[in-house]
Formats: sequence, C-alpha cells, structure tokens
Amino acid sequence: MPTTTKPTYCLLTDDSPTVRKVARRFLQGSDYELDDAGNGQIALEKCAIRMPDVVLLDWNMPVMNGIEFLRAAREQFGRDHPKIVVCTTESGVDYIREAMASGADDYIIKPFDAPTLHAKLSGVLAAPASV
Amino acid sequence: MYLAAPLQAKCSSEAAMASISRYEIMPTPDNYTLWYEYHAGHHAGLRRTMDVLISNGDGFEEATLHDLTSTFISSAKEAEVIREASRSIQEALRSLIEVAHRAGAEADDFGIALTNLAARNYGDNKESLREMVDQLIRESRKMAGKSQSASAEMKDRSTEIEILERNLAQALADARTDSLTGTANRKAFDATIRKLAGDAMNSGDDLALLMVDADRFKHVNDTWGHQVGDEVLRHIAATLKHSVRGQDFVARYGGEEFAVLLPFTDSKSAISVAENVRHALIREPLRLALTPPMGPLTVSIGVACYEPGDPLAEWIGRADAALYQAKGEGRDCVRCA
Ligand SMILES: [Mg+2]
Repeated sequence: MPTTTKPTYCLLTDDSPTVRKVARRFLQGSDYELDDAGNGQIALEKCAIRMPDVVLLDWNMPVMNGIEFLRAAREQFGRDHPKIVVCTTESGVDYIREAMASGADDYIIKPFDAPTLHAKLSGVLAAPASV
Repeated sequence: MYLAAPLQAKCSSEAAMASISRYEIMPTPDNYTLWYEYHAGHHAGLRRTMDVLISNGDGFEEATLHDLTSTFISSAKEAEVIREASRSIQEALRSLIEVAHRAGAEADDFGIALTNLAARNYGDNKESLREMVDQLIRESRKMAGKSQSASAEMKDRSTEIEILERNLAQALADARTDSLTGTANRKAFDATIRKLAGDAMNSGDDLALLMVDADRFKHVNDTWGHQVGDEVLRHIAATLKHSVRGQDFVARYGGEEFAVLLPFTDSKSAISVAENVRHALIREPLRLALTPPMGPLTVSIGVACYEPGDPLAEWIGRADAALYQAKGEGRDCVRCA
C-alpha cells in the first residue's frame, strides 16, 4: 500500500447529473479528489491533461460512449492507467462482458449504493497491475 | 458402380487433358473425347491402335485423329449430334451446379455428382450420352427429393422450436407470477425494483413504492378459513390492477402484503394512487355470503419515494414503516414516509 497521503483522483464520467451527484455525495469526505465528465470525449481530454487514478465510466453517453472511451483510453494510455470501473444499468449487463474484454477493471450496476461504490473503487485501486 | 464411375471419369478426363497437352494436340471436343476414351479403356480396338501410334512416336496428325474418331467413336454425323447434345447437357450441368452451390451444404453431394458428370461432357457415343442423361436425371431427382425432405425437416424443426419457445415463455411467465392472485410474484418484484431504480438513478426521474396490506387478515383466515382468505387476496389483487395506471407494477410481496412500483411518480401523486386503491375497495366491496357476515374489506398503505443511491432494502423499509404507521393510526388509510 502507498504510504503517501495524496488523495485518489477519481473522474466521474456519466451524462446523468443524478449519477454524478450521487457518486460525489458517496465519495466526498473520503480520500478522493473528484472531477466530472459528461461524456467520453471530455473524459479523454481530462485524462490527457492529468491521468486519473480511477474512472467511473457510464456506458450510454452522447458524443462518446463508454465502450468508445474504453478502447480509446486503453489505446492511448495503456492497459494499467487509468483504472476503469464501468457503470451500467441492469438492462446493460450484456455489455459487461464486452467492457471487461475491452480492458475495464470492474463493473458496477445501477442502482448502486455507497458501500458498493467504495468497495468497487478500492478493489481496482488495490489490484496489482495487469501483466 | 455409380460411386466409382465419377471418380474414374475424373481420372480419365485428367489423363485426357494431360495427353492432349503432351502430344500438342488441338484441344477440340472430338480429340478430347478420343483421348478420354483411350484412358478410360472402354474400346479395346482404340486402345491397341493408339498404343501402337504412341510407341512409334509418330505423333498425332489431325487426319489421324479424325480417322480414329470416325473409326472407333462415331460417324462424323453422329459426332456432330452428340457434340450438340453434350453442349446442352453441359449448359444444364453448369446451371444445376450453380443451383447446387446456392442451395448450400445440403447440395454438396449433388454438386460433386454434377461436377463429375461435367468432366465427361463430350459423350463418345449415343450409349454414353444416354447414360449421362440418365445419370443427370437420377441425380436431379435425388436432389429434388433431398431438398423436399430438407424443407420438410426444416419445417419440423421450426415447429419444434416454436413449441419450445412457447413453453419457455410460459415457464418464464409462470416463474414470475403468483399463482394465487395472478400478479407478479416476489421474484419478479425484486428484479423489477432493481431495474426501475437503476433507470430512476440514471434519469433522475421520480419513482415511488406503495406497500399495501389487507386489514385484519389474520381474523379473516381464523374466522372463515383459508379459502375465504384466498378470495380476499384475489379481490385485492384485482382491485390493485384496476386502480393503478398502465406504467405501474403490482406484485404480491408476501402473505397479505402487495407492493406497487410507480415510475415517474412523486410522493403527492403516489398518495393519490394509493387513495384510489382504497376508495376502489370501498366502491367495489368483496361480496361473499358468509356466516357471520364479513365487515368491509379494507387495506392500509405505506408510501415511500426512491432516493437515488439509497439501498433498496432501506427504501422498502421506509414504505413498510409508513404502512405500520397507517395500521397504528386506525387502518384503512394511507401514510407517506
Ligand atoms: Mg448514460
């Protein structure tokens, strides 16, 4: 475990203001530095400026959707950075396999609650780099 | 016999082509037929004569070949007729091969048979031509029979699949239906509440939940028996289904408790849906001839709205708490968390 006290930089990527608001509420007060992106394009630009430790990634978004961001990010930044947790509704479970195959580190299903979100994010952050 | 024939025909035709090339012979239909028949070995006289010519190393003049054809294969006139017939047959073969290819894997055997027939395209005499035509007809009939049985088989299969699909759909519906009341069961409710809450979290739209419980249900069961208790549950289920809106989802949650999920509905509207249910029960009471007579059937209802991010169990718990408040405040009423 890192001994630094540097907060975890987490990019909340979702076109739903409600989801971003809920995730922000859950993570605020913990050791997270939070930023928002309303679609994959904005998230990609933010990653290029400063690499997040972890991206919470919605699947259905305008301009650039989750799978497009996932592929672009893995192509540009490699397999290990940023950690990516795909966030989709139950009707999107068919996409989960595709997301995991395209380099997602984990997934979370909407509706999620605070303990589940915390567990998923710390899970991917603690995982060793893939080989 | 017919199994071996096409293969032999293929060998003979390949050997004929090789010989035509080796001896620099004009690749005319007659010459091809001549060399085909030589390699096939059908004519002992032709075979002997040509073996002599080959061993002499004299080569094969155009005139020599023509003589051989006239002598051993056919008269020129006959040859002309045969050539014409062969051309037509080859046309037919080509189109049949195309058909066979389009028909796909089922037609593979037919395609091979046709291809082998095509290798014998220039019949050497009337007998051989007749044989070829006969074989073509046989193969075509075989193929026609095959495609008929194939389509019958496909029809059987699709009927089978349709029945399986119907049974599966029915089994899935059964698995999600409460057999007593015909509403969705608890399992279906658990799946639906997750889905609707996910959608509500995504969209930010309202989502409300009613917990509806029959008043004094234990008393009904104890006094008039379980069959009357079942009638009460069926009546409540029917009333719920009639008094909620199309988008709403009614389920038997357990025992005498029903749950209703109300998408795009805030607490105020949810309360008015709950009041509709309560009034509908008063308007259309359950009429049963019982001794002693049963008093009016009423329900208590708890309402709670989903807060995105709330654990679902917590939300259901709030609706339940509102329901117990309604019970505590005299029953036959609606309370909102
Ligand atoms: Mg979305």
